[in-house]
Amino acid sequence: MAAPIEVSGSDAEAQPEAVLSGVDRKKIQGRSLGQIAWMRLKRDKVALTGGVTVILLILMAIFAPVIVKLFGHPPNEFHQELIDPTLGGPLEPRGGMSKEFLLGLEPGNGRDLFSRIVYGARVSLLVGFLATLIAMVIGTTLGVVAGYFGGWVDWVIARTMDVFLAFPLVMFAIAVVGVLPDSWLGLEGNGLRMAIVIFVIGFFSWPYMGRIVRGQTISLREREFVDAARSMGARSPSILFREILPNLVAPVLVYATLLILTNILFEAALSFLGVGINPPTPAWGSMLTQAIRSYQIAPYFVIIPGVAIFVTVMAFNLFGDGLRDALDPRTGR
Amino acid sequence: MIAFFIRRLVGGVVMLLVISAVTFLIFFGLPRAAGQSTDQLAARFAGKSPTAETITAIKERFGFDDPLAVQYGNFLKSIVAGDTYDTGVEKIDCPAPCLGYSFRTNQSVTEQIVDRFPITLSLVVGAAIIWLLAGVSIGVLSALKRGSLFDRAAMIVALAGVSLPIFFTGLLSLTFVVHAWELLPPVSYHSFMDNPFKWASALILPWVTLAFLYAAMYARLTRAGMLETMGEDYIRTARAKGLPERTVITRHALRASLTPVLTIFGLDVGLLFGGAILTEQTFSLKGLGNLALEGVIGSDLPVVLGTVVTLSLAVIVMNLVVDVMYGILDPRVRLS
Amino acid sequence: MRVRPKLMALSSGLVALSLGLAACGGGGDDGDGGDGAGYNAAIENIVNPSDKKGGTLRMAISSDIDSTDPGNMYYAWSTNFVRLYSRMLLTYPAKPGDEGRKPAPDLAEDLGTPSDDYKTWTYKLKRGQKYEDGTEIKAADIKYAVARTFDRSVLRSGPSYFADMLDAGDYEGPYKDKNLDNFKGVTTPDDYTVVFHLKRPFPEFNELVNFSGQTAPVPQDKDKGERYGLHPVSSGPYKWEGDYTPGKGGTLVPNDQWDPSDPHRKQLPAKIEMIAGLNAEELDNQLLKGDIHVDLAGSGVQDNARKTILTDDKLKEQADNPVGGFHWYLPINSEVVPNVECRKAMIWAADRDAIWRAYGGDVGGDLATSIMPPDVDGREKGTDYYTKAEKGYKGDVNKAKEALQACGKPEGFEVTMLYRSDRPKEQAVAVALQQSMGRVGIKLNLKGYPANTYVTDQFGSPEFNKKNNVAIGTFGWLSDWPTGYGYLWALTSSDAILPAGNINISMMKDKQIDDWWDQAYETEDPAERAKLYNQIDDRFRSEAYVLPGVYAKSLMFRPDSLKNVFFHKAFGMYNYSTLGVE
Repeated sequence: MAAPIEVSGSDAEAQPEAVLSGVDRKKIQGRSLGQIAWMRLKRDKVALTGGVTVILLILMAIFAPVIVKLFGHPPNEFHQELIDPTLGGPLEPRGGMSKEFLLGLEPGNGRDLFSRIVYGARVSLLVGFLATLIAMVIGTTLGVVAGYFGGWVDWVIARTMDVFLAFPLVMFAIAVVGVLPDSWLGLEGNGLRMAIVIFVIGFFSWPYMGRIVRGQTISLREREFVDAARSMGARSPSILFREILPNLVAPVLVYATLLILTNILFEAALSFLGVGINPPTPAWGSMLTQAIRSYQIAPYFVIIPGVAIFVTVMAFNLFGDGLRDALDPRTGR
Repeated sequence: MIAFFIRRLVGGVVMLLVISAVTFLIFFGLPRAAGQSTDQLAARFAGKSPTAETITAIKERFGFDDPLAVQYGNFLKSIVAGDTYDTGVEKIDCPAPCLGYSFRTNQSVTEQIVDRFPITLSLVVGAAIIWLLAGVSIGVLSALKRGSLFDRAAMIVALAGVSLPIFFTGLLSLTFVVHAWELLPPVSYHSFMDNPFKWASALILPWVTLAFLYAAMYARLTRAGMLETMGEDYIRTARAKGLPERTVITRHALRASLTPVLTIFGLDVGLLFGGAILTEQTFSLKGLGNLALEGVIGSDLPVVLGTVVTLSLAVIVMNLVVDVMYGILDPRVRLS
Repeated sequence: MRVRPKLMALSSGLVALSLGLAACGGGGDDGDGGDGAGYNAAIENIVNPSDKKGGTLRMAISSDIDSTDPGNMYYAWSTNFVRLYSRMLLTYPAKPGDEGRKPAPDLAEDLGTPSDDYKTWTYKLKRGQKYEDGTEIKAADIKYAVARTFDRSVLRSGPSYFADMLDAGDYEGPYKDKNLDNFKGVTTPDDYTVVFHLKRPFPEFNELVNFSGQTAPVPQDKDKGERYGLHPVSSGPYKWEGDYTPGKGGTLVPNDQWDPSDPHRKQLPAKIEMIAGLNAEELDNQLLKGDIHVDLAGSGVQDNARKTILTDDKLKEQADNPVGGFHWYLPINSEVVPNVECRKAMIWAADRDAIWRAYGGDVGGDLATSIMPPDVDGREKGTDYYTKAEKGYKGDVNKAKEALQACGKPEGFEVTMLYRSDRPKEQAVAVALQQSMGRVGIKLNLKGYPANTYVTDQFGSPEFNKKNNVAIGTFGWLSDWPTGYGYLWALTSSDAILPAGNINISMMKDKQIDDWWDQAYETEDPAERAKLYNQIDDRFRSEAYVLPGVYAKSLMFRPDSLKNVFFHKAFGMYNYSTLGVE
């Protein structure tokens, strides 16, 4: 991953504008880091595009049933009367794209691609967000503890992170999914599958967050304002909460965004390999696996899920990049 | 120097033990925690529907009814000292390092791993060289030409590169480059020893596809690192001293900014041995990743266990290599 | 029987039209492989005849072989392939058409001679036949080969006819009892005579000996149980160079100890590469280019290649669309779904049209009625039970719901369905059934497994099915030999149930059917036997033990560089023992 972000809490307090424009005293406020970042972000058109796309995708995933009801057909419904029985492709040209079927038909069984893509977004985003949440919680907690307390606590946690980072991730995810039984802890079938996938991805990606947070905490710990707080008699927990954690929000946010997209790709990879969510639930990765088998019959079928993944991941990337640039001008464009 | 190396080596071995212990726990402890009986575990281990006698034999052989620590100890012992398996019909010798025996395919796991290792190795090495060279060069150029058309175009392409799943780009390139336009021969593995040219031309497509993804990451990484370094005081000093720009860049800026890149490079290459599974599946290459996947699909526990441990070994070895290289290059590291 | 060309002419649109076009356009066989010999040319004729030696024949399979051990294989393509390195007592002639379906002597001098009561069958071995290492093949080797099939815990994949039929007391196989003299099911009065002793009379015994590789001689001192398959000792024109690597394949090289007077095989290629585990799409791509000569599975190309071939005239000339003799059907496990009404509900709800389309529509096959396909001697079309073999039939939701009421599960129920993960068509069938049965509340959880372990360890394992609640799955069957016995016995007899490699997946222990089987043994007249077989078939369906599917037609491709190609009716695919590449 890219160079760690340098968060300079103290630099952000300069306000030359107020002096120059002679503004009313009441309006002279220190702009917090967040406000400055927000201003920079607003000016970054590309990042904004990414951000807006992300929001649209989230909305699409949440309102999938409504969208599909209005614009498409149920995602698992077959429409084989529209498919050539021998060749397997849609009878109508352009992949069967029409007002009825906005993105055309899936070859063979004639399912509505539009609704499958929309529902597929649910799986990708759900797994991406939840897994990242798990990684964030574990990673931030352990990273802060390691960075702040140092000593053998740090040593143990840092070595643990090393061990996790050494695991062949995809391999492990595949293996764990394969090893676990079909019903456990009251869940079963696809629900269990989803939970396992989320848990495995989250559980194995926490070190990425942990490493960053640990590095940040270590540098923050040595800062003057922490020393000042300590000399004023503040105890560790309050230092952690009042001084360190707020300054971690920025990098954690940036890396969370980047981690989400990694996890979305991870889920797609697992579906592609056939160890993700079971059919018939649509998932973009498994749609790609299907697409390979019919690329002669329906070339568009390869493009559509691939583009869906691409657009989603790219959007998170652009937004995450923009966020990082907004928070630290030195790596700007 | 030797002390440094030994310290690192010991650290690596400890890591490997820890990883293998955790792996062992996951494969042998987790199912138990999830309520599976040792009979069921033995059945999974046999990788097939065994008779009651076979199950009893396996349970005894591998000590499934023993405490986990004992089982782990046996596993380690067989890695170090080899093992013999009695299939009831013949006694099979599994020489050290014995990573297990697959009852499904009737081969020792080590044999299968050794057989498939060159394929994954070829894939990783080829791609790594390409992406390191391409990624770093583009990153450096972008940093130097910051803000220019080249920079912006390169960064956009790089962003696209990391956003595209490799199985998507792989499929597209396979469909068009090999099948539709026939620009390259079908992707397959030919031994390097037999014919280096064939080896390269049949693997160039997966190399490039894989490298595209990583080169994109490394371009961005290098660029960010360069920009940061170029803004440092000592660079200004070097320039002020009158050193030619080229020296400033290569001797000072590049060197400093490459340090994080190399660290990550080592880790990435190590992880790629396991991560290449997607590329292997896309291009139908029968490497280690494919072996593990087949093991999972076929419920062949020994194969999965053995492969995962081997792949972790790759990461640890690469980490060790990178650490040692730093130790050689930077005396401060040695003494810490 | 001239049924086949008529059948094809009757099928709609594309196939008939192209058949006509190909016939008009001409394109006879060209020994040097210029234009393709014509669509469907290899069904009745040998295409690209040649006797030139040399070259490398490349054969590939998308999953893996069930076993390279001649005594431990069951897939039709395996018993076809094994002829390259194994000779048996009897084997199929390497001829197209009906000639290829009759048993012919191979290592035996002639077909077996039965005793008057049909319980003893005697075979005389040819002299001077040798293994790859020069040792002469003797009767004891054949006896040993048959004996080892008795131990189902070691050799789990092959047919079980010998263990079921031979009068051997409670013999458990040579791995538990090394003294071969204790095996009384086969006796060897001298080094060149093999005598089989059956428990009951069986007039079709020659057919039984003929169809599998289980009478291929195995030297006892070189046997390694299940590991023997890593390097079987050759008695055929080729031998394994090194070991066979499961999941990857192996290489066969000419065996100079093979007797060239063998009429059923040729020794033309200088090398044969067998490649396993090649991705199905890749395989088709390489096949169409001629980089691979044979798709060993012999069940036809996948969807992409089908489209490419059917829409390209040049490629079409190199393709054949024969009726394969397989029936792709779906057995229903009566142990997991014991109530017959529930099973009927499953059959009523099934979308037959989707299944037909999954296999390729017109090019894929015809909707099935009886379980025995049309080419089995004496088979009758039979009645449709709880379904209709009509185009466009999508199942009857109302009747399905009625049946669910009758079985006490009006809301439906949840079970598992299996399919072979490396066969995309089967996955499509599974998804289609999941969808169509879901309409009435029958929830199918789909699970895919690779073909080479599917029959041994998953669908063919009663315990696996019980443990995983497997109620139904994709399956296919080609008759072991073309009578009703050869088709239906393994599927329906309670004696045929095995712990691994079980073909009676429905777990039928139906007294009526078992009685009819017993009757069949006593019936001498083939026509009378055929009547019994039809009754068994009928009850198989009327008791809802099975969902009929499609009588397979495979769209197969032969590159121009492949010589001596023809469709073998007994194997249901191209014959592999006489191919050349020069």
